[in-house]
Amino acid sequence: MRNRAPFVTLPATLLVLSALLAAALPARADDVRLETRSGASSRMPLRVTSLAPAGDRDAGTTAVQADEVLAADLQYSAAFDVARAWVASPQSATPIAEVGGKWTVRGSTVRLMGEVREYPGKQVILAREYVGPAAKWRDVVHRFADDVVLQFTGEPGVSATRIAFIVQEGRTKELWVMDSDGHDPRPLTADRSVAQSPSWSPDGSLLLFTSYRGGGAPQLWVLSPETRKPFLLSGRQGFNTGGMYAPDGSGLVCTLGMDGNAEIYRLDARGGSPQRLTSHRSIDTSPCWAPTGREIAFTSDRSGVPQVHVMDADGGNVRRLTYDVSYTDSPAWSPRGDRIAFVVRTDSGFDLWTCRSDGSNTTRVVAGGSNENPRWSPDGRHLIFSSDRDGTRSLWITDLDGAAPRKLDTGGRKAMSPAWSPRMGATSAR
Amino acid sequence: MHPTLLRTTVLVTAVLAMFAVGCAKKGATPPTPPPAGNTTTAPTNPNPGNTGGTTTNPTTPGSQQGTATVTDLRTIYFAVDSYSIDGTAQADLDANAKLLRANSNLRVTVEGHCDERGTVEYNLALGQKRADAVRDYLLGAGVSAAQIATLTRGKEFPAVDGHDESAWAKNRRAEFK
Repeated sequence: MRNRAPFVTLPATLLVLSALLAAALPARADDVRLETRSGASSRMPLRVTSLAPAGDRDAGTTAVQADEVLAADLQYSAAFDVARAWVASPQSATPIAEVGGKWTVRGSTVRLMGEVREYPGKQVILAREYVGPAAKWRDVVHRFADDVVLQFTGEPGVSATRIAFIVQEGRTKELWVMDSDGHDPRPLTADRSVAQSPSWSPDGSLLLFTSYRGGGAPQLWVLSPETRKPFLLSGRQGFNTGGMYAPDGSGLVCTLGMDGNAEIYRLDARGGSPQRLTSHRSIDTSPCWAPTGREIAFTSDRSGVPQVHVMDADGGNVRRLTYDVSYTDSPAWSPRGDRIAFVVRTDSGFDLWTCRSDGSNTTRVVAGGSNENPRWSPDGRHLIFSSDRDGTRSLWITDLDGAAPRKLDTGGRKAMSPAWSPRMGATSAR
Repeated sequence: MHPTLLRTTVLVTAVLAMFAVGCAKKGATPPTPPPAGNTTTAPTNPNPGNTGGTTTNPTTPGSQQGTATVTDLRTIYFAVDSYSIDGTAQADLDANAKLLRANSNLRVTVEGHCDERGTVEYNLALGQKRADAVRDYLLGAGVSAAQIATLTRGKEFPAVDGHDESAWAKNRRAEFK
């Protein structure tokens, strides 16, 4: 029983998916943007004008909705302070630029000719056409918005991403996904069981999650949000929890109880070849990769209470992350590599903190209520987390600039354990 | 015989045999009532290491035929962030050990639970520590290892919905299922 090898039961589909994943993702070069801090810088005033509808008679209907999606994307990016030209409001500062364009709907195709004009001369500094199926017109707007962010910050925005999360109904917890702006929340499982801790593969094609769906102990499962068919990745004796793919997709880290105690293991992309990374009689859990793949942050209560630690990817060189805050858990390493987010226990639950990856500069970023499971956006500008700060457990985003966190509308559902997807494919035109 | 047909025949025979054993067993031992407050997701097989139909074995030599069921076992409670067995828990576990020794046909799963204040991941590990601590105590008290399986439930299945110490104290527990 103890040495039951779960990978032998894996369907060939998953093996193929894993192979594609490994092949499609060459080892990432060292961070090229280490000079840019995680979190937002100051917001630039930006004016968004109405898109001019053309083509089919009903183009105006989606054009009006596209205006709002575009303005919301740019505001959510935390790069801009957005003024909507169609809303009468005093402009607080002279905008640096004006965003707009032409919205053409013909049959089942939508074309957005996006334009950015710089103030004060209104010269065109970005003009690009985005084409997509009319049924997915929101994605067309997101791609333009992400390019506008690129134009002004040097890095694309993240509106064309998705968020996986857990929805609780009574005593069941199912895996869901929605667009990053909260649009179209939809379930991916219907197990009437308890799912937890989703985590995306580096290319955004697969979701790892912990689930009791197997009927016994918690196990690691993986599914494609397209097919929604879960495959067992690790169902070893004891418990199997909290998996996260390596940045290069070559394997994952997770917590297993198969050796009689909660230890952290590395598995290959199919869930096989377990390699034990920790060896301590205390609880070691919640492993999380550095974006370089060279280090792993994790939680251990080896010093008495849970504390975030960092170790080398082979399990060596274990060191405690912070000494000025205690009872820390749920580490999440920024995709920029420079900071680590974590939770700190309080009387009412948890606050959200970040620090530099060497443990210095500890900063509380969210307090009030209980705030859990912080996860970074792929650009490292935002943190998504779950909180009961307004009474109901739901999902919130902080832009790390001191502004109040923003609640994501999940239709009143009890939502938790968010995971922000990586960017889905290129943000270039067409 | 065609290999597929052979396999089917063997399978059908095996299923029929298991069914017969299951029927015979029903006559020999009183059926275990479903645990109160059970959820749709709770495992029904208390010993996943065994194959179906063999969770109770009335023919084991020297076994004792008590009439106790899993619901007669006491729930064990824990201090904050702790999996150690304190004085009250010891007394409850001594009583449980006595009952399990007297009913060696009784197979149980110890489910470790936590209050809501730790994180999901940490509590899944802590729940296993609690279940293991209970199992180890019972083994030390002379209960057969074959009678006890363990399972962590983390903070996913609170006994009491509430967000204060009185609720949390009731949720930091090891249940017998």
